[in-house]
Amino acid sequence: MSIDTINTEPATSPADARTRNVLIVGVGGQGVIMISKVLALLCQTQGLQVKQSEVHGMAKRGGVVFSHVRFGPEVWSPTIPMGEADVLIAMEWAEGVRWLPFLRPDTGVFIADTQQVIPPFACRNREFFATPAYATETTAEIIGQVSDGFALDAGRMAEELGNARAANTILLGTLSASLDFPLQEWLSVLSQFVPKGTEEINRQAFLLGREWVEKTREEPDGAVALAPAPAQPEARPKIDVRLEITREWCKSCDICVKLCPERCLELDEQQIVRLKDPDACTGCRICEWLCPDFAIAVHHESRDAATESGKTA
Amino acid sequence: MTATLQNLHGNHACAMGAIAAGCRFFAGYPITPSSEIAERMSRELPLVGGTFVQMEDEIASIAAVLGASSGGIKSMTATSGPGFSLKQENIGLAAMAEIPCVIANVMRGGPSTGMPTRPSQGDIMQARWGSHGDRPVIALAPASVKEIYDQTIRAFNLSERYRMPVVLLFDQVVSHLLEPVELADRSSLQLVERQWAKGPSAEFEPFARTADGVPPMPRPGDGLRTHTTGLTHGEDGFPSQDPEVATRVTQRLLDKIEHGRADIEAYECHDTDDAEILVVACGISARAARAAVRQARAKGIAAGLFRPITLWPFPEEALKAALGKAKAILVPEMNAGQLVLEIERICGHDLAVEGLNRIDGQAIAPAEISQRIEELAGK
Amino acid sequence: MNEMNSGGFEIRDYLRLDLMPHFMCPGCGHGIALRALLWAVHELGIEKDNLAIVSGIGCSGRVGAYIDANTYHVTHGRPLAFATGLKLARPDLEVIVITGDGDCLAIGGNHLIHACRRNLDITCLMLNNEVYGMTGGQVSPTTAETRLTTTTPSGNSEPAFDACKLAEATGAGLVGREVTMQTPALRNLIKKGLEYKGFSFLEVMSDCTEIYGRKNDLGESAEMVLAQKSDMRPEAYSTITEQPFRPNRLVTGILASNDRPEYGATYRDQAAALRGDDNGEA
Repeated sequence: MSIDTINTEPATSPADARTRNVLIVGVGGQGVIMISKVLALLCQTQGLQVKQSEVHGMAKRGGVVFSHVRFGPEVWSPTIPMGEADVLIAMEWAEGVRWLPFLRPDTGVFIADTQQVIPPFACRNREFFATPAYATETTAEIIGQVSDGFALDAGRMAEELGNARAANTILLGTLSASLDFPLQEWLSVLSQFVPKGTEEINRQAFLLGREWVEKTREEPDGAVALAPAPAQPEARPKIDVRLEITREWCKSCDICVKLCPERCLELDEQQIVRLKDPDACTGCRICEWLCPDFAIAVHHESRDAATESGKTA
Repeated sequence: MTATLQNLHGNHACAMGAIAAGCRFFAGYPITPSSEIAERMSRELPLVGGTFVQMEDEIASIAAVLGASSGGIKSMTATSGPGFSLKQENIGLAAMAEIPCVIANVMRGGPSTGMPTRPSQGDIMQARWGSHGDRPVIALAPASVKEIYDQTIRAFNLSERYRMPVVLLFDQVVSHLLEPVELADRSSLQLVERQWAKGPSAEFEPFARTADGVPPMPRPGDGLRTHTTGLTHGEDGFPSQDPEVATRVTQRLLDKIEHGRADIEAYECHDTDDAEILVVACGISARAARAAVRQARAKGIAAGLFRPITLWPFPEEALKAALGKAKAILVPEMNAGQLVLEIERICGHDLAVEGLNRIDGQAIAPAEISQRIEELAGK
Repeated sequence: MNEMNSGGFEIRDYLRLDLMPHFMCPGCGHGIALRALLWAVHELGIEKDNLAIVSGIGCSGRVGAYIDANTYHVTHGRPLAFATGLKLARPDLEVIVITGDGDCLAIGGNHLIHACRRNLDITCLMLNNEVYGMTGGQVSPTTAETRLTTTTPSGNSEPAFDACKLAEATGAGLVGREVTMQTPALRNLIKKGLEYKGFSFLEVMSDCTEIYGRKNDLGESAEMVLAQKSDMRPEAYSTITEQPFRPNRLVTGILASNDRPEYGATYRDQAAALRGDDNGEA
């Protein structure tokens, strides 16, 4: 098939023979690689040259994963230069925001799942009221910055469809609406990649994503209106932590002392638990949950309302 | 009072009696020769808003019955010898935790699988001593289809009144008998309903020592959140190993029987006033004995019949009263000698007590009994 | 629910305080499981008056007595059978069975498989500490191979049951497993079990520190719960790698769920149709 037959409107400019760039980003476990493999195989079946370059070194659940897919009559470099991605598809909201500089500023299509996966390094402050360092940009802000933008809660859509794991296929469907390959070819390649027995739900998920984009394109601002805003981390009131220890119930099993992440508990001279380092206690409740004898109760008390001073043992 | 005359199979009479008594839960496991009780209950119970369930085994059946009864529903199960053996531990729980329930045991030849389709009276002692430990026991042994119906109703009444398991001992002859039965109008039945504890109350003791020895029972959902256990427990329901508590609470369980004897004991006396030869028999053996006594009387022998309907507690004083002029006692039974042990205990030191036993799966014929009566009378 | 927020859950509201402290050994995981259960009950707003706890014999059997509810401590192995009668007679009650590996899988095994098959609306919480603790530490159906117990002085040579696979194969509506160390996850699992209309079988990996842990040099409770946690793989991972069953490396999470008719409702509907009632619950 000639490249001429691919109508890229309105997703990309109609420069026929040039290499098309799709950047797929997300975190481990979401299916980034699956999307890029479907796309790469599809391009091959359409007679195009394809280069795919992926990094999934952190592809344990939650680690960053990205995949560059470049296709055209002739493709040389495997990676997409900054500002040259025709489509940026993000399976995780903050990853989408982070990779935005790779998108063509004038014509690039941005598709993002509003799902948030907050990475562990954003939660280093273990105080109860600490908020994780996560992207603060709103959906409207980002969609406003790009030429053609879509934000959707694919996880919820997939869940409503009956299988939360089909979220990546919904996103693949949204991608298909911006690349003008025939629908049947998409579905045929897709069916080779999904686990046995899930062909039908994945087909439905694909069509759901595709139709969602098509419908959204008809309504100006629809993309933003339809997408739920990414939930902002909950604003937590500042609190004081108070440990209530029922000495008569403690059996000195030591489980709280050993498993406290802050190492702020100890057994006293009577082998009963005691809060050794009140300042270190974050009120995480692990001691409360794991005490088999219910001897520890963790109370979170509003700092404003607190009449007693701080933590007591 | 209106009544309907019906031809009823003994096991069906048990089911109909249970329904009339207000039984609304049956859990059972198929076993010959009792299965007709389960079959009839499976048809009748849904029609009156009750529940039938065939459980996975005999033990599950009695356990489910205890669960349903704890929920506040009159409940029963039915079985035969091997199944009765399997149920013993949970019958003990019913006695200990004071959960009312009725267990119909259609006795068959034993030991072990024995003779499933042949009659026996081999579980008289199992009914008394089958479960470990000292526990109160009520066992009733009807001798006709009509009596199966009446005694099933009575079994529920006693079970609800005294908060304890009640065993119905049928022999296979009576339970598979088809006889015309006059069923009383339901409105004329005297039914006993369980006394329910009123809640909520902080001082409530589920196993308190009440005047009649039977504490009102807490029902789940009524606001009294109590503990029920098979462990020896104090009046508060919680386990205790205090010797004083253990004596007190175990004794109260046994005293329920002693206090209720007059109400619990049922028996029939035929020609006992002047009887020199007294026959003591229950179930189908008593029917044969009745004919034998009549034959003996025709021959001029002063014979009489004492028929306990309540086997446990044995109507001891009534038997003593019936001894009158008795010189010898004959105890015909379809076992190697079980009921006779109790008769010997009660009057063996004054009188000759003889057994007449069959362990061949055959009912005892009147002629066998009358022949022994004649031998005892010296004729 | 924010895990950091107790959501107004005060365990004391659900305990019989007169009986505390409870009689379990120091470090026994059954207490942690009890907390998770009561936490789930609290979050679902189940009334204590309508809560019926049925338990059998063994350490697990003694847990129920500490709950301020309608509690039944019945014969060894029979809590599921007792609960079947209770639930059929009183569908309005929330019936929870607390049982153990010996109570549920050995002496009560027959009742488990039939409760799974029947699918009556009961939640069965099996506290698996891999040993008969109350009787002094004998081998149980879930004791791992090579472990020392008082009746396997040379190490256990019998293979262990995978109770969840058993429950799934016999048709339980909902099957799940969790370790005590993941207390909020355990609470969530129990909530799902309680919400499921049908029979749910939940296996809680508990630790017997005093007897089993000491005999096998597994450390104290902290070491034992940590080892359990690291021995478990969340269900999400297991589907990726599809490893064959190994008793010492089990899978946690919801392991099976079937949309099957609940037995009690089916029976009542059938009975109502026989009577000609319109309302199945009449």
